[in-house]
Amino acid sequence: MPPSAGLFELHPSSGIPIYRQLIDQVRALIAGGRLVPGDMLPSVREVARAAEVNPMTVSKAYSRLEIEGVVERVRGQGMRILEPNTGGPLRERRQEFRDLAAPAIHRALQLGLTDQQIHKAVDQLLEEQAARHSND
Amino acid sequence: MTPPVVAIDALEKSFGDYPTKRVLRGVNLSIPPGTVLGLLGQNGSGKSTLLKCSLGLLRPTAGSVTVLGDDSWNLSAGVKARLGYVPQEAVTYPWMRVRQVIAYTAAFYPTWNQRLVDELCQRWRLPLEERVGPLSVGQLQSLAIVLALGHEPELLMLDEPVAGLDPSARREFLRTILEIVDNPRRTIMFSTHITSDLERVANRVAILKDGRIAYYGELDELKDRVKRLRIAAAHDLPQSFKIPGALRCEVAGAVATVSVNDFDEQLADHLRTAWSADVTVHDLNLEEIFVEMHAAGSPTLAVTR
Repeated sequence: MPPSAGLFELHPSSGIPIYRQLIDQVRALIAGGRLVPGDMLPSVREVARAAEVNPMTVSKAYSRLEIEGVVERVRGQGMRILEPNTGGPLRERRQEFRDLAAPAIHRALQLGLTDQQIHKAVDQLLEEQAARHSND
Repeated sequence: MTPPVVAIDALEKSFGDYPTKRVLRGVNLSIPPGTVLGLLGQNGSGKSTLLKCSLGLLRPTAGSVTVLGDDSWNLSAGVKARLGYVPQEAVTYPWMRVRQVIAYTAAFYPTWNQRLVDELCQRWRLPLEERVGPLSVGQLQSLAIVLALGHEPELLMLDEPVAGLDPSARREFLRTILEIVDNPRRTIMFSTHITSDLERVANRVAILKDGRIAYYGELDELKDRVKRLRIAAAHDLPQSFKIPGALRCEVAGAVATVSVNDFDEQLADHLRTAWSADVTVHDLNLEEIFVEMHAAGSPTLAVTR
């Protein structure tokens, strides 16, 4: 069954722009396995109608997802989910992770944790993640 | 590049001889085709005046407005046929029946989509056989919108179109607007106080403040840029604590609440290091941004695009 336009829950009066909400939700649906490579996204018009938002906003979100390599535009059909992109230089991927982790580390130090305690917390998180994947 | 549908250039408008009331003090706007522009501003900020100058209903004191290639004070019949306007207070003919007002209006236009008009009347439950005089404010407003849409204008200007509508009629109106802009050649300008409507349908926003444009650009960009930061520092912050270009800044002990208009992650990182502070970033919706921008002493946003 093709994904329906009701897939997304958009809040126009949120402080997060609608296009960003859409991008985040597509990424989350992919991460959660509800959208898999090869799936088509509902059309711009369908999403705009269902959510009653400006179609240009939906179209902007889809274009961003295309630029980011999450989906590809299939002529006459719409947007198709691509295989997850684990490529890209290691340096860039590592930098992205550092950007995410830096504020968390900063906060941990403020909370009075030692380096060792932080290392241990990260190790635990990695173990939990591994356990979750082996259950899938 | 396609020429703008509406080009407003250094527009000024004053009323009265002495003392002169300067309502618009140099407004510049360039609106590309396909835009849905929401016009925001406090009461008396000049929204209606701006729309009326753009339509040639008021003569600019200085500056000019070009609409679909014509000077707004000298609009040709050809350009007028491509314009639609819904005034804040609908003017109509109380002795006529709804059906007659529609037929009367249709006669002025070389093209008229009666099927569209019939459909809209049905959706908005307009009583075709009743006289216009005793209609409710909301019904009058719906009728005015239908009359402005019948000739399928390329440029539609609406002055607080939803003020008199009940919530379901408002929703119906927004749906109609979205259907209109399904055609990318159509352009809409509307003024409103209802920010949640604007957030739904507009892709651009212009904020009028003190007779000038305080912000003009994409709504998304505005929401990406204006953020409220909560800075919890390790030690008390000095009273002189300031962030350049902040809309509002409140310091209480070690905690500062600051609304900034040009947020990026670097700013947050900088604050974290400089004050060894815990910085949390809060998103603001349009209503909150509007309020922050009108806080006492807040500067005008630097960039307009």
